[in-house]
Amino acid sequence: MATEAEVEAEIEVEKEKPKTDIEGNTRNLMQSIKGKVEGSCLEKVEEKEVDIIPEALVIGGGIAGMYASLDIADAGFKVHVVERSATIGGHMAQLDKTFPTLDCSACILTPRMVDVSKHGNINLMSYSEVVGVEGSVGNFKVKVKRKPRYVIEELCNGCSLCEQACRFAYKFPNEFDENLGKRGSIYRPFPQAIPAVYCVDPVRCQMVKKGKCGKATIENVRAYLKEGKEDVEVPPCVAICGPKCIDFDMEEKIEEYNVGAIIVATGYDIIEPELMPEYKYGVLPNVITGLEFERYSNASGPTFGKIIVKGVDRLPKDAVFISCVGSRNKQTGFEYCSRVCCMYLAKHAHLLGEKVPDCKVTVLYQDVRAFGKGFEEFYDRVKGEGVNYRRGLASEIYQKPGSDRVVVRGEDTMLGEPFELEADIVVLGVGLKPSAGTAELLKMLGIEETTDHFAKEAHLKLRPVDTDIEGIFVTGCVQAPRDIPDSVAQGKAAAAASLALLAGGKVKIRTPVEEIDEELCLGCKSLREMADKMGA
Amino acid sequence: MAEEEYDYTKVPMTGSVEGIAKDAPEDSPRIGVYVCHCGINIKMTIDVPDLVKYAATLPNVALAQHYIFTCSDPGQNLIKADLAAGRVNRVIVAACSPRMHEPTFRGTCVSEGLNPFFFEMANIREHCSWPHGDFPKEATQKAKDLLRSAVARSALLELIEEKKVDVTPETLVIGSGVTGLYAALDIANSGYKVHLVEKNPSIGGHVAQLDRVFPKLDKATSILTPRMIDVGAHPNIDLMAYSEVENIEGYVGNYKATVKRKSRYVNEKCTGCGACEVACPVKDVPSEFDEGLSARTAVYLPFPNAVPPIYTVDPENCLLFKEGKCGDATLDAVKEGKAVPPCMAACKPNAIDFGMTEQQEELDVGTIIVATGYDIIDPTVSPEYKYGVYPNVITGLEFERLSAASGPTGGKIEINGKEPENVVFISCVGSRNKQTGYEHCSRVCCMYLAKQAHMVKEKLPDAKVTVCYQDVRAFGKGDEEFYGNIKIEGVGYRRGLPAEIYQKPGSDKVVVRAEDTLLGEPYEIEADLVVLGVGMKPNERVWDIVNMLKLSQSVDGFLMEAHPKLRPVDTATDGVFIAGCAASPKDIPDSIAQGKAAAAGSLVYLVQGTATIEPAISQINEEVCIGCGSCAEVCPYGALTLDEVSLVMTVNEAMCKGCGGCNAVCPSGAATMKHFRDRQIYSQIDALLQRAVPVEFVDLGGVEAAAPEEPAAPAETAETEGVEAEPVAAE
Repeated sequence: MATEAEVEAEIEVEKEKPKTDIEGNTRNLMQSIKGKVEGSCLEKVEEKEVDIIPEALVIGGGIAGMYASLDIADAGFKVHVVERSATIGGHMAQLDKTFPTLDCSACILTPRMVDVSKHGNINLMSYSEVVGVEGSVGNFKVKVKRKPRYVIEELCNGCSLCEQACRFAYKFPNEFDENLGKRGSIYRPFPQAIPAVYCVDPVRCQMVKKGKCGKATIENVRAYLKEGKEDVEVPPCVAICGPKCIDFDMEEKIEEYNVGAIIVATGYDIIEPELMPEYKYGVLPNVITGLEFERYSNASGPTFGKIIVKGVDRLPKDAVFISCVGSRNKQTGFEYCSRVCCMYLAKHAHLLGEKVPDCKVTVLYQDVRAFGKGFEEFYDRVKGEGVNYRRGLASEIYQKPGSDRVVVRGEDTMLGEPFELEADIVVLGVGLKPSAGTAELLKMLGIEETTDHFAKEAHLKLRPVDTDIEGIFVTGCVQAPRDIPDSVAQGKAAAAASLALLAGGKVKIRTPVEEIDEELCLGCKSLREMADKMGA
Repeated sequence: MAEEEYDYTKVPMTGSVEGIAKDAPEDSPRIGVYVCHCGINIKMTIDVPDLVKYAATLPNVALAQHYIFTCSDPGQNLIKADLAAGRVNRVIVAACSPRMHEPTFRGTCVSEGLNPFFFEMANIREHCSWPHGDFPKEATQKAKDLLRSAVARSALLELIEEKKVDVTPETLVIGSGVTGLYAALDIANSGYKVHLVEKNPSIGGHVAQLDRVFPKLDKATSILTPRMIDVGAHPNIDLMAYSEVENIEGYVGNYKATVKRKSRYVNEKCTGCGACEVACPVKDVPSEFDEGLSARTAVYLPFPNAVPPIYTVDPENCLLFKEGKCGDATLDAVKEGKAVPPCMAACKPNAIDFGMTEQQEELDVGTIIVATGYDIIDPTVSPEYKYGVYPNVITGLEFERLSAASGPTGGKIEINGKEPENVVFISCVGSRNKQTGYEHCSRVCCMYLAKQAHMVKEKLPDAKVTVCYQDVRAFGKGDEEFYGNIKIEGVGYRRGLPAEIYQKPGSDKVVVRAEDTLLGEPYEIEADLVVLGVGMKPNERVWDIVNMLKLSQSVDGFLMEAHPKLRPVDTATDGVFIAGCAASPKDIPDSIAQGKAAAAGSLVYLVQGTATIEPAISQINEEVCIGCGSCAEVCPYGALTLDEVSLVMTVNEAMCKGCGGCNAVCPSGAATMKHFRDRQIYSQIDALLQRAVPVEFVDLGGVEAAAPEEPAAPAETAETEGVEAEPVAAE
């Protein structure tokens, strides 16, 4: 039995010991247990088993969305693919060659695009957008807006005569070529577009906007097409169209679909380089983005594969590639690494060296993130081909006085000295951000964003394609920047997750709240709002 | 030759010419030739109308057409219309590579009832208009040669039926790390049975050994063990731990696997109470789970959350096996029930059974997923780092065990019995290194070293932490932000890998000598603890699987996928998938995505219930075959076997991949390839050689202009210059 003095001494000793607040922790634990005991007066909650509609919706027809839809369709389930633009294929269709194998991007992509379009189980809705989602896992009600092409998809044979006949042929910038090429009011994004049919740009077509094109009026068109009147003045596209598939009276339609699972695969946009004004993108024509370089390098691009940059107008003798433009940068607001730029710049450096052997190529970098299968070996190869890697990003680009060349000023952190490199072209390694409209779509679906504004997955490590909403999955670059093999793996992963639901056939859901305590109810109607959203 | 200049901008979109065989009887070949412009890709170089006119003069050609985009719907409709009207019964499309659109056009033929193997493609784009864009005249001539060759072959094509096989609705997953677990769960949740084979006594793989995972610093076991338990309890998962696959035979949908169930000498009555462990006299076996940093007993559970939670007797260290007796009990006496070793004495449920023997189980499965994971690269490949010489130098995985609360030090980072004051982390040990033979980047080390640097700072706030690096590959979601934060926490990143580590004289510290490439000067740091960022290599046991399944390896030694961009989890063998670090180093989220991707691939087969097998394969003519077996000797797929009764060779049609080896060695000509018969190939060669005029040598400029010899005049007279060809008698 301890004496008081001994106890006192013990207390003194205890006071000297560094605090780990055992008391506080224990108190917290006791509170928590108490709470649980009280809360264990739980009521039985009924779980209901509902049938899962054996159909899936894939939002986005890029490479991830395509592979997700193909796997689900191959397994025998119907898939609705909704793609906002006039063609599927996404950004991968714009690329020239892919790292590290240097496969031609379109050559490996287009057979899969054809597969998607021909698959009996895939309902491809291009030029369409998802405008409403209700319901819960197994039973989602989706509203899809079918934007009017003003061309009847089933009749158009892709002959391209309308494109050539259009009064505004080759007058507008072509988005597919990053605005470096030209298209008209009636167009196809690229020749191998799927669906291989034409589309009228509602903003740039006189007939759609004003009801007349030259001397032709919309009434003339109706008379020509529907009544067979031959002697009216119609716009050249209608006149030359064999299958008579141009229909200016087409209207937007809203279609409803019921699906069991939804996969979001809406991909990326590049970070706008204007966020780093010191690089003078848009000011000096010598400065281009990585995606513009892809279009220059591509044999079906605006210069048929010759690296002749608009405004520079000659093959480059000196080229500088700058990494991390936009990314890894608290100032621009994109703190994250965009993952693919190190490799795509290495690929560009290689392609440039191949096409213009006399060109001196320098890559400015911070780290070279060549992490994937075959990447390190590719990086080694590129260095062996004479590409000069200098550590240290450029601080500014200015025009060389009295010349159309530019000067790139930076500090070489390995030599410990500043440098100035003259260049004919500068390629900015722009990073990736979620594609436009992603924030609104995620909100519509009830999915949160992570701090980097990409879609929030259920668990960063263990559930990279699930979200907090059962039955809705995210895949590809909407969740985080990634390259093609990782996007394909994710697309298939989302397919597996969907198949686990669809093949199971049934899912358990909790029945909604049925009782409302009238004494407490304020009548604020917020519950009604939530219920409406859930479709309850 | 057409006199006027070929102006490709004036070529009409479509056109048709009737061929010389248009009135041929119905049962003889009537070939339709469709020449594609491919937009401008072909017609820009090749005179398409000329080619069409030429095609119409070739033997057996009933008609020839050209169209702007033959693969488009209207283009295909041209072919379909001719088939439906009975105008043609063989189709040739002269366009792009068959790798592009052969499946498309085969589909077109099938939709009108024509067997797809009556379809042939002539590649006049990748093989003609694209490479010879500057030489249109010669390119057109070459296109005619290619077309003539295709026409000759087309007349000899045979009807081949595509066979379907049933798919057993079960999957075998080899390897139960995080990748295998997630693959198994997705398939099991879809309602199909999964056999999950794991060679170790417990599932979980390397993730179970980790302390915390980047970038969110979740505890590895907290996130992994719920999935391990799900797998252990799932009604659709047949968990075969402590087992190895010994043999695999078969083909897609029909694989037979023989699995060796190793003997634990402990049966399912085990409650995991641990009394045997306390009683066991052998207490000094280096623990594999703790990377040798602690010791375990001969009867052991690899780690507390092991699934299945059953003990295992290690026969290599158990005295009963090693020395024949443990204490007073001999092995024989124990088996006869006459004696009891300490472990059995302590075991209340009587779960220990030294009479257990290895079992073999045969499994029938439809698909296989190989998820065998990685081993770390042995750090002694870089001997300058003195791993194994100085106790201060440890690997990244050993650090995880030190840092983990369940590890040998209870989570305290200690070396030589005390907390380190200076810790140095070294990147790229083994990887990115031609000398060590591992040229590849191991992808996870930059981030795991960053995480471990952070853990040191968390547990030992006063320690000085330095990371020596080449590049910081912080590319994943949340990784860059994590890397930014730890630098603020005070972790020093110095660029330049160390050259050597030596012991500080008269001390138990070591000195790390390196060059800081940003400062441009060498330096030396004293360190109590050096952590080597070792890379990954394929798990060493995967080679047996590779041989059993005839899988290929990439140059870096990892398993090879069917296509590095678009088919990252498929292999060249239908129904066999690879996933996770067995295919290439990757972190946890990417491994899980690949595990799920492989599950999707499997589910396509399982849900459909059937698989089509490649029909262009070997065929044995039984009347000619003498049963010599030369073909079986060269067959890499084991597809040929001798039928004991008829004494001729037989082909397993699902295993044969159509490589042609048997055809090449067969002495009697019994083995031939369907769709690639000798006579078909010879007819193509003959057709190509028919243009036996001296070939003009074109000066390509830059190519050494050795004076070309006059080619000898061909012995047989053949027809002259291409266009005015008289119909050549069919072979």
